Amino acid sequence: MTKIGGWTGKVLRIDLSTGRISTEDTIEKYKDYLGGTGIGYKVIWDEVPTGTMPFDPTNKIIFGVGPLAGTGAPCNGRTAVTTLWPTCWPKPLVASGHMGGQFAAELKYAGYDATIIEGKADHPVWLSIEDGQVGIRDARHLWGQGIRRTTVEISQEIGAEAAVAAIGQAGENLIPMSVVMNSFSHSAGGVGAVLGSKNLKAIGVRGTGSVRISGNKEEWEKLVKFHLSLLGANNQHVVPNTPQPWAEYYNTSSRWIASRGRRWEASSPAIETGTCEPHRLNRISYRTNNAAFYLGDGAWKYTVRGNGCTGCPIRCHTMIKVPQTAAKYGIPEVGQNTCGGLNFGRAFFKTFPDGPRGETAIEACMVGMHLADDLGIWCNYGQLQRDFIKLYYGGMIKKKLDEKEFKSYSWDKYEKGDPSFLFQLLPRIAFKEGELGTALGLGTGYMLEQWGIPEQEWTKDYNLLYWKMGHPKHHSNEDAGQCGVIINTQYNRDAQCHSHSNFTRNGLPIGVQKRLAAEIWGSPDAIDAVSAYSLMNIHKAKMAKWSLLRKELHDSLSLCNWMGPWVASPLKERGYRGDDSIESLLYSLATGDKKNHQELDQVAERIFLLHRALTIRDMGTKEMRTQHDTIPEWVFKDVSGKTPFTKGTIHMDKEDIEMAMDIYYEVMGWDKKTGAPSAATYHNFGLGKAAEELSKRGLLP
Amino acid sequence: MSQQSERDGMLEKALNLVGLNRSFSRRDFIKLSGVTVIGISALGALGAKSGKKMPLIIMDKAEGVVIADFTKCVGCRRCELACTEFNDGKASPTMARIKVNRNLNFGPKGVYAGQHGQGNWGNGLITPDFCKQCPHPVPCANACPNDAIVVQPPANARVVDPKKCTGCKMCQKACPWEMMSFDSDTNKATKCFLCNGKPKCVEACPAEALNYLAWRDLTEKVPPRVVPTALVSPEKAAACKQCHKK
Repeated sequence: MTKIGGWTGKVLRIDLSTGRISTEDTIEKYKDYLGGTGIGYKVIWDEVPTGTMPFDPTNKIIFGVGPLAGTGAPCNGRTAVTTLWPTCWPKPLVASGHMGGQFAAELKYAGYDATIIEGKADHPVWLSIEDGQVGIRDARHLWGQGIRRTTVEISQEIGAEAAVAAIGQAGENLIPMSVVMNSFSHSAGGVGAVLGSKNLKAIGVRGTGSVRISGNKEEWEKLVKFHLSLLGANNQHVVPNTPQPWAEYYNTSSRWIASRGRRWEASSPAIETGTCEPHRLNRISYRTNNAAFYLGDGAWKYTVRGNGCTGCPIRCHTMIKVPQTAAKYGIPEVGQNTCGGLNFGRAFFKTFPDGPRGETAIEACMVGMHLADDLGIWCNYGQLQRDFIKLYYGGMIKKKLDEKEFKSYSWDKYEKGDPSFLFQLLPRIAFKEGELGTALGLGTGYMLEQWGIPEQEWTKDYNLLYWKMGHPKHHSNEDAGQCGVIINTQYNRDAQCHSHSNFTRNGLPIGVQKRLAAEIWGSPDAIDAVSAYSLMNIHKAKMAKWSLLRKELHDSLSLCNWMGPWVASPLKERGYRGDDSIESLLYSLATGDKKNHQELDQVAERIFLLHRALTIRDMGTKEMRTQHDTIPEWVFKDVSGKTPFTKGTIHMDKEDIEMAMDIYYEVMGWDKKTGAPSAATYHNFGLGKAAEELSKRGLLP
Repeated sequence: MSQQSERDGMLEKALNLVGLNRSFSRRDFIKLSGVTVIGISALGALGAKSGKKMPLIIMDKAEGVVIADFTKCVGCRRCELACTEFNDGKASPTMARIKVNRNLNFGPKGVYAGQHGQGNWGNGLITPDFCKQCPHPVPCANACPNDAIVVQPPANARVVDPKKCTGCKMCQKACPWEMMSFDSDTNKATKCFLCNGKPKCVEACPAEALNYLAWRDLTEKVPPRVVPTALVSPEKAAACKQCHKK
């Protein structure tokens, strides 16, 4: 084999209990699991015994990146953080959070493919990684500080270029609903308190090395440019949201919102986003503005520019500058984030005086980002805010809080949609203060348990979008019918899979989508138009399998599953085709380990199977179908009374979904009755030892 | 006291001044003993009468220059990656000949400017640093004791000739904008060579923040990052004097 590229070849292991710092050979030990979540699951499987709790010193947390992190492959900025999940209810199981920013690339330039953290320090520490020099440093002066302050102080020590992943007060106080965050706005949710439980305040990385491309550099350049040509806007939306002179189609729900007259107005002077014709690769960054996408046209006047991860041209973290909000609330003028982070503060409110996209909503976003991204609070894909609205308007908060605590909140402000209410609420979550703050910080499952609310109250309420095990849906039947439902049954937190929704929501007309679907999943019937669903078929199951495998593949290679896969493109001359093999082409050329897309999908399947095996082992049951892969009631009910498979409803039919699960398990080579993979399936993917272990525990079907 | 030892003493003093001598081995020191410091040299035209080949002094102007529009830069660093991946086969921002990362978080003033500075942690402004392709006198080329920085057509970029470069890093101390890079795999200096007239960084920018334009003199317009602490060989200093007589 040619000299290996992509990987740096070393995994860093830090034992905080003993202070021992060691390295392992990536290729020797982890190559079959690529990196990212692959390394994470492998370490948890091998080293963290069943029954371990998230905050036990024996729990481990793995910051894993992959062979493409730090290269010029587009959208490679993501770090997978894998551990036993504190908000997974009723029993913590393995899961991963994913952060963008500069951390993944910087870790590679420092010479590492992953960092495994184990044990517990006896006082607050931070981990300093400066190329080959790794040290456990005293963090007592940082303990109690927010993420911003922590990052600045660590940057002062190891350099302005450092990528610092830090926890805020929420993580220190062991709030399960906490994040670790790097590069100002890029967080991995749910894991902050695991770091807190280890007394680890932050990881500061500074790398001056390089990531080698194994293949020919001219070929690499060509491939990277080809990949760039297939990119759409954020979430791989490949058509613009308004008619454009170059565009055959447009779709009003697309995130490709650049257009003549839409300008980054807070840039000095303003910058026109223009028509962004897809062949003009020098204008990719203007296509997306997620502040304007979520907050409406009012956000353009505050837009400074797009920001985002290392090497990604999409810039989904929009930077907005709102001086009057800064003056009004005493917060910084500039805020930046995307999606859940951007909407963190706004999502707590049911109404605003000037509507959901008015100035007050923007104020709430600014205040929310300022507080949550410094205290380090997680939103659980918006479940925190949906829970809060339900608890308040359902009268449960009033019922549960004593009068003094209840009155300590300005509920009149809350009801009016006054963002200053967030200053009362968010710090109390981070500091575990009072009945309400404490309950909200637990995560939905444990919060319901503590307050004696049956989970069923949540699973039946469509507005809550709650799915199971303490977590919400993440692109389910509202985006991809049965395929979305299947995907949402598979994980121990919200599914975080975008492979399917990035296709169904790409903005192309259904006729074009069906033509592409036939090429990718064997039949145009693999997909339906959204909310015009047809009965289950095997192609939908194949699409679900493909979606899940590509998610794990992306999380292990360090490609962004918020952007990939790239099976559709904005290119009319290609019939809007993307390329199903782009991941394997990048992988092969970067690493020198040649694999076609089927072979690489097999590696992804190994990784996904290991996640399944871990879930089964730690749940202690093989009855996955009934105990794990569950579907909330709201999926089957339409408030307007429409029956499933009629136009205009996203609701599903119970029998049809039963069949969907049957077919899915079959496609996966899993037992239909239990939903557990068979011994043969494990063996086929090189997980024979896992099968033996599960067999000993009676956990094979 | 021979002229040589007097020169060594002077050099040692100069190195002490710029804090260089600590990291130099004795061997490096001896290797460097043939050079002197511009401004404090009082030795005259040493090489002029020796009949040796005249040292290289770049007089030609470059044809083009890469220019960055700070307000358009989105901080993605695709330029840094294109520079080293497509030219050197590795992703290595530290050796990229366009430099964004050092200003990315806190701006050119660094971390001490905190949230009131530039960059992602400040007002959002990103400053990509680029080579000015300096006119005569070209600081990096003049500082090179081996004449390894040469003019290369068609763009007349000032480029490092790896065959001549010994990796002494003197050029790094010469550039007021800290634009010299170093390839730690080959142990050679490297710098922007304008990709022979088709800069990869410009091509890679997804926000049209970089432009390749006809050369213009930016040396007076862009504030320096550091005070250069260049050492120029006596031969070169002598050659300078040929034209720059009082």
